[in-house]
Amino acid sequence: MKKRMCILLSLSLLLTGCWDRRELNELAITLAMGIDKVDDEYRLTAQVVVPSEVSMQASTGRSAVTLFQATGETIYEAFRKMTKDSPRKIYPGHLRMLVIGEDLAREGLAESLELLSRDWELRSDFYVVIAKEKNAAEILNVTTTLEAIPANKMFSTLKTSETAWSGTNGITLDELITDLEVVGKEAVLTGITVSGDLEIGTSKQNIESITPAARIQYDNLAVFNKDKLVGWLTEEESRGYNDITNSVKNTVVSISCPKEGQASIEIIQFNSKLKGNVKKGKPEVDIDMEVKGNIGAVECEINLTELETIKELEKITEKRLEDVVTKTIESAQNRYQSDIFGFGTAIHRFNPKEWEKLKGQWEEEFSDLKVNVKVDVKLQRMGTIDNSFLEKLKD
Amino acid sequence: MGFFNKKKDKEKSKSSASPPIQVKDQNQNDRNALEIKLQDNISKIKDSLGKSADIIIREINLGKDGSIKAGIIYTDGLTDTPSLQNFILETLMIDTKVFEMQKKVTPERNLIGVLKDYAMTVGEITEITKFDVLLNDLLSGDTIILIDGYSQGLTISNKQWVERGVTEPTSQTVVRGPREGFSENVRVNTALIRRKVKDPNLWLESKVVGERTKTNVALMYINGIVNDKVVEEVRQRLDRITIDGILESGNIEELIQDAPLSPFPTVFNTERPDIVAAALLEGRVAILVDGTPFVLIVPALFIQFFQSSEDYYQRADIASLIRLLRFFAFIIALLAPALFIAVTTYHQAMLPPALLISLAAQREGVPFPAFIEAMIMEITFEILREAGVRMPRSIGSAMSIVGAFVIGTAAVEAGIISAMMVIVVSITAISSFVAPTYDIAIAVRMLRFAFMAIAATFGLYGITIGLIALILHLCSLRSFGVPYMSPVAPFNISDQKDTFIRLPKWKMFSRPRLINQQNEVRQQNSSSAKPKPTETKE
Repeated sequence: MKKRMCILLSLSLLLTGCWDRRELNELAITLAMGIDKVDDEYRLTAQVVVPSEVSMQASTGRSAVTLFQATGETIYEAFRKMTKDSPRKIYPGHLRMLVIGEDLAREGLAESLELLSRDWELRSDFYVVIAKEKNAAEILNVTTTLEAIPANKMFSTLKTSETAWSGTNGITLDELITDLEVVGKEAVLTGITVSGDLEIGTSKQNIESITPAARIQYDNLAVFNKDKLVGWLTEEESRGYNDITNSVKNTVVSISCPKEGQASIEIIQFNSKLKGNVKKGKPEVDIDMEVKGNIGAVECEINLTELETIKELEKITEKRLEDVVTKTIESAQNRYQSDIFGFGTAIHRFNPKEWEKLKGQWEEEFSDLKVNVKVDVKLQRMGTIDNSFLEKLKD
Repeated sequence: MGFFNKKKDKEKSKSSASPPIQVKDQNQNDRNALEIKLQDNISKIKDSLGKSADIIIREINLGKDGSIKAGIIYTDGLTDTPSLQNFILETLMIDTKVFEMQKKVTPERNLIGVLKDYAMTVGEITEITKFDVLLNDLLSGDTIILIDGYSQGLTISNKQWVERGVTEPTSQTVVRGPREGFSENVRVNTALIRRKVKDPNLWLESKVVGERTKTNVALMYINGIVNDKVVEEVRQRLDRITIDGILESGNIEELIQDAPLSPFPTVFNTERPDIVAAALLEGRVAILVDGTPFVLIVPALFIQFFQSSEDYYQRADIASLIRLLRFFAFIIALLAPALFIAVTTYHQAMLPPALLISLAAQREGVPFPAFIEAMIMEITFEILREAGVRMPRSIGSAMSIVGAFVIGTAAVEAGIISAMMVIVVSITAISSFVAPTYDIAIAVRMLRFAFMAIAATFGLYGITIGLIALILHLCSLRSFGVPYMSPVAPFNISDQKDTFIRLPKWKMFSRPRLINQQNEVRQQNSSSAKPKPTETKE
């Protein structure tokens, strides 16, 4: 028994070996990659970390990252071709950002994602973003402040803005592929862009001044139909999209006061439910939103000590959110004919039998789908003061 | 094997050439008996001992008229000289002058018997008739009295030699707990144990092991608690030993242990009487060897090597946490360098990006693969440790300064070792000192290198296979019939009270199940066990 166990254990060691052994200083750690389409060929850009520049002691003041580029008929070809340029093999295991050029996105990005989801070395939890009106290579070529590695800057910015401001949405490769596969939910991706002087933006000079000459910023959401980019949502619509899909964690809504002036409501808890429904063969969707918020700032004459006023503000906020949501849905229905909210899947969940019938012509059905929006806002706290000091200022 | 056989043959031929010390043969019975004439006996002793200078032979005359010739023989340095002078010489040379010895002589009791029963004012005294017994007693430090005309002698036990006192044990120190440690004298050691356990059932068996050293070995156990089969097994294994010399309990340990080829110890050793007392109360057997402060305890279980005596003197909660910490440190000491090698050379995806970049930055310019790097550091550390143990104490500080340079920042600054590797090796080194017993730390030290090699060739997968093999090995071990991994494997819920954690004393109702089978109850399982403040009525 003992001998047999020994043999079994030592034989199992033969299943593996040291062929894929790599030392840490043989890796080109790639944190961001970009894909563009140039003359019918893919152009792959890899942003590779220069470890010695990132560490505090050995830094010589050179750039913390470097770019390698290669073109090829397929992504894989370009990927391997990169070794012609790079002294180390590209290691994409820690990829955090994938930037796709808008041109490629408009042509359809499904083919280019196939390798990335198949290769064992890649995780599929990196964010995918679209370079709005730019090449992916241009985005990856900009130096950033605060975070020495631009990929980390992009990653952190998307993560923070997603939670603190509901205009962006971090979509990972997994989620994107699921959206592409499923009928009844179309994909959206956050846009990224560079503003300012691109020429200076590529150099160290960019981050030496207080205001960088060029900066990377997130834009609004891009709407897809199948795997093709069909257009961009406005900022308000982007937030409306996040409201509907329940991806708001924390945000601020500006409303107008009953009389005049503005007020800001901080949303601290947001919960929206999609409910599909089929009535007499006609699909319908109910959106039920439960919102809890605080009064963030009031810039108008209002008596906050009265319960009535709070109730009034709640009403206004409800109206405001309802408007935004309705407008977003209309835009998706009429302008893009793309069910980015997943209304189809909601109906599928509710009534799988009816969905089988609707599935075939869902695009048309979606365009004149009836959507009932119900918003319930509760304002809870109003900060450290009650009535605004602005009132006394006027006297 | 051929080499060893040759050596054995040589030894055989050597021993046959020299005269046999112990004469057991029936035919040689006559030669073994004491001679009647005093001079014959004395010359025989001189011949046997090669006229050694430390054997003192004093010839005296006793009796009223000094007509009886007697010889007093003892080994200088092993005998208490004041008592020799005060009680033996004085009695024989002065008291016998007034005392009518011959009158007491009867057919049943000859002169030797009269001396023994009426004259000698000493405690332990025995009659001897055999020459080999005489030699043995003489060399153990006893005083021999021979009288001309009698083929009998007297042995008086007045052994006394310079020895170390009872001092604080250096190998197992505690913050709270008794400070006394065993010494080299087996009698002192048994006394230390008797002082702790005054039970009449604490039995002591004495044996002599080693054909030339004639080392006293004592077995101690509490009759009624101990498993008789274990005692019998220990007896048999000790009797099986036929070796010329036992110089330390380590010699015995090697000769009686269950798995001689396993890196894990199956015999526990300690310098502390309180640990032995606790082990006896659990139903274990202690083996005391003359000439060493290290006492063996069997059966020894894996878990025992992580239990410090202090665990039982401290509060139960902190003792439990510290014991868990020891297991954690054991795992670090065993696996830390191996895991580091595996993760950094095979499984970089397991590291968070920021850590990966930081580690990669440290490795820039390091010329060796991670495995070689780790080996250099580990071997350097082992060299430093070995040097530190064997060196005269006065050079110690110089070595620690140089050592800190070699293993510390200098290696990093020279660019041959990455800073992280220094950290990993250091934490491994420190963790290996956490184990309260030295023996288990040695096993870990050896296995660590095996795990490093397997990690460098097969990655985490190899470590997993290695761990499976290690656990299989540990589970297959037995110590004097008790499974080594008990009470974990085989699992025993009742014994978990003192395994990974230690429950308070008032919760420990029974002795370990597998060690002891006949008297399990330590204290009655009643509600009175838990301490309660007396209720005060207001």
